[in-house]
Amino acid sequence: MENNPEINNLHLPDEIEVELEQAESRFKSMWYVLKANKAAMVGLVIITLLLFIAFFGKLLMPYNPYVGDLSKSLQAPSAAHLLGMDEQGRDILSRIIDGTKVSLRVGIIAVAFALSIGTFFGSIAAYYSGKVDMIIMRFMDILLAIPSLLLAIAFMTALGRGIDKAIIAIGFVTIPEYARIVRASILSVKESEFVQAAKVIGNRDSVIIFKHILPNVLSPIIVRATLGISSAILDTAALGFLGLGVQPPYAEWGSMLGSGRGYFFNAPYIVLFPGIAITITVLAFNLLGDGLRDALDPKLRK
Amino acid sequence: MKRRILALVLISVLLFTVILTGCGSSGSSSTGGQTFVFAQGSDPRGLDPAYVDDGESSKVIVNVYEGLLQYKSGSTEVEPCLATSWTVSPDGKEYTFKLRQGVKFQDGTPFNADAVVYSVGRQLPPNRTDDMPYASFTFGPVTKVEKIDDYTVKFTLNAPYTPFLANLAMSLAAPIVSPTAAKAHNGNLNENPVGTGPFKFVKWDKGQSITLERNDNYWGAKPKLAKVVFQFIKENSVRASQLATGAIDAMDGLDPNDVKMLQDKNMQIFKDNGMNINYMAFNCSRPPFNDPKLREAVSHAINTDELVKYLYQGYSELANSPLPSFMPGYDKDLKPYAYDPEKSKQMLKDLGKENLNIKIITYSNPRPYNSVNGQKLAEAVQGYLAKVGITATIVPYEWAEYKTKAGQGEGDIMFYGWIGDNGDPDNFLSLLESKEIQTTLNTAKYANPVVDQLLEKARTLPNGDERNKTYQQIQQITGQDAAWLPISHALNMAAYAPNVKEFAVHPTGNIFFKNVTK
Repeated sequence: MENNPEINNLHLPDEIEVELEQAESRFKSMWYVLKANKAAMVGLVIITLLLFIAFFGKLLMPYNPYVGDLSKSLQAPSAAHLLGMDEQGRDILSRIIDGTKVSLRVGIIAVAFALSIGTFFGSIAAYYSGKVDMIIMRFMDILLAIPSLLLAIAFMTALGRGIDKAIIAIGFVTIPEYARIVRASILSVKESEFVQAAKVIGNRDSVIIFKHILPNVLSPIIVRATLGISSAILDTAALGFLGLGVQPPYAEWGSMLGSGRGYFFNAPYIVLFPGIAITITVLAFNLLGDGLRDALDPKLRK
Repeated sequence: MKRRILALVLISVLLFTVILTGCGSSGSSSTGGQTFVFAQGSDPRGLDPAYVDDGESSKVIVNVYEGLLQYKSGSTEVEPCLATSWTVSPDGKEYTFKLRQGVKFQDGTPFNADAVVYSVGRQLPPNRTDDMPYASFTFGPVTKVEKIDDYTVKFTLNAPYTPFLANLAMSLAAPIVSPTAAKAHNGNLNENPVGTGPFKFVKWDKGQSITLERNDNYWGAKPKLAKVVFQFIKENSVRASQLATGAIDAMDGLDPNDVKMLQDKNMQIFKDNGMNINYMAFNCSRPPFNDPKLREAVSHAINTDELVKYLYQGYSELANSPLPSFMPGYDKDLKPYAYDPEKSKQMLKDLGKENLNIKIITYSNPRPYNSVNGQKLAEAVQGYLAKVGITATIVPYEWAEYKTKAGQGEGDIMFYGWIGDNGDPDNFLSLLESKEIQTTLNTAKYANPVVDQLLEKARTLPNGDERNKTYQQIQQITGQDAAWLPISHALNMAAYAPNVKEFAVHPTGNIFFKNVTK
């Protein structure tokens, strides 16, 4: 873990300043390492591109992704329709562009949701230990014992279809992963001198946890969250494939795969392109996640 | 030394498994003739004709059991089977059947009037129970069944009912079961079927397969196949690739998308008129679709011709009424609602229903009358509705849940279908009778006293011109009222390997393996 030079400095404003400065330099050195990692940069570029598509998709779409022309159904890729047409005569490219928004939204929000709740419970469990720790972590163990996709399916069946519900379902089932990581990381720094010092000067528990401890254990959390987005996107696709994704006629990659699987022999492009979209996105987040892990791990840094 | 012993043990285990698996595959050819493997989408619900209502059960049942009458191959005209002749009393209420002599059930029980009385009697009140889904349809008007002598039985009806003979040839409720076997199994042969048919039941591995073997004591021409195995493979495309690789000999539930791939592999495609209807129903019981004008407006917005051509890729026939075109009483002059979005928009405007918001419920799986599945059909319709300014929300359900939701009258528009049972027009058109609202068969909740009256009348008319005219009249009225938008009649499709002969799907969807060879 980081060595904290400011632990003996009891002058509060200075302490924050030093911390900020340190955070900035840490970010700089991380960026420096990350930049050297070509694979991670490819991932980052793809993610930026995907975010751009997600935000400005409406302007990029060549056709209306929801209303098709049945008489053009199953057409192979051509100059007019670069990725071909689906069984309803809708442009596959436009639908993939439209689906980017859904996948990224579910991926990012579900992870943010799981991360915040997981971090909260994980830090409480680690900081207070004893009975609180026992109760919270056993509950997390129970959640972990059930296969996450199965749990998500059960959730979706109970809540109904829709993006918002997919977010809750996927977010909920991944809470224990974050709670465990946060707990483990905090346990490793809890007894450090700087934490003890913060306690001694009379900081409140919440200040100690969120201001002093958490910033020092961010690395594994960031890495886990980045990789978590990729698995959340995969889970979204799996739910969509099983027919629990978005409401028709909205486009989602997994449901495009699911509803197109019957056309595998005569119009393979219906399943091919959404499949590629999922692969590229998941790959990009994995590459970035791996790169971040290398960049943030002090053991690998030098 | 230890290693050697281990190696020896491993080798002997390996040899033992090889011998065991080898036995499994060589055992079947000893009886002479071939084993035929047929793949269908799922397990039967059961194998007792009195307790099932689904096509997957029916396909196995027709090869194990027989009824008093049977349908001619390729049509729904009836011909003698276990009954050799019959007479109908002048008032149309008494049917007397002469039974075939010298027939034995597969368990050795002789077939006679007692067997018929037992088989039918268990499905008549007061013996009839709630888990006999077809008893009230097939034997609805029957008040009693009596033994006259060992080979003569008499059915008494409470009113003349023209479809009765056709009902007796059905594969549900009507086949005759062995009374000895039924009594030995608490009156339910779902797991232990025994009939007089050309094949007898061997075993049922749930979720995997059912094996039948040739009935060597069959009264008619002996089947050529030694064994028939029904395999259950859920995914259409998986069944198709199994056929292409030679793992199975034939399959039904053929997806139009797999036709080309199978043809390229030299597989034979079976295609024939299907006795079914794929339709969209408006909920006529409440606003907004209790207004026939609005139903008409929406009907004009949907291009059914395009649905048939592109969604079903031509493997369906465009429907103009609930009746398939080959059935008696079909009105060939009836025109389907023309696709005219402009007219539809204008009508919606006149009714003050622009920007209408509606809810569509549908099923998420393929059905025999809808090869793509209910959700895709609903999505296509949603697209057409969007073009005339109607916003539709689709709520898809799994089939079992869907049937409940549909019965409860959820949604403004719903998708459904019907597979004909007996080839009689009443079987299709009575779905629009108001008394069927209660049984949930009348999915549109459509009630028209004139239609009710005409249906009642046609049921008692003898087969012929007058009866057919009455049914044509009913189709004209229901067409105008637009409670249903009839979409298509799916072709019965199946595929089989090039060496297979005499394989055919009957209009009822059944496959008789009696004459099949490979």
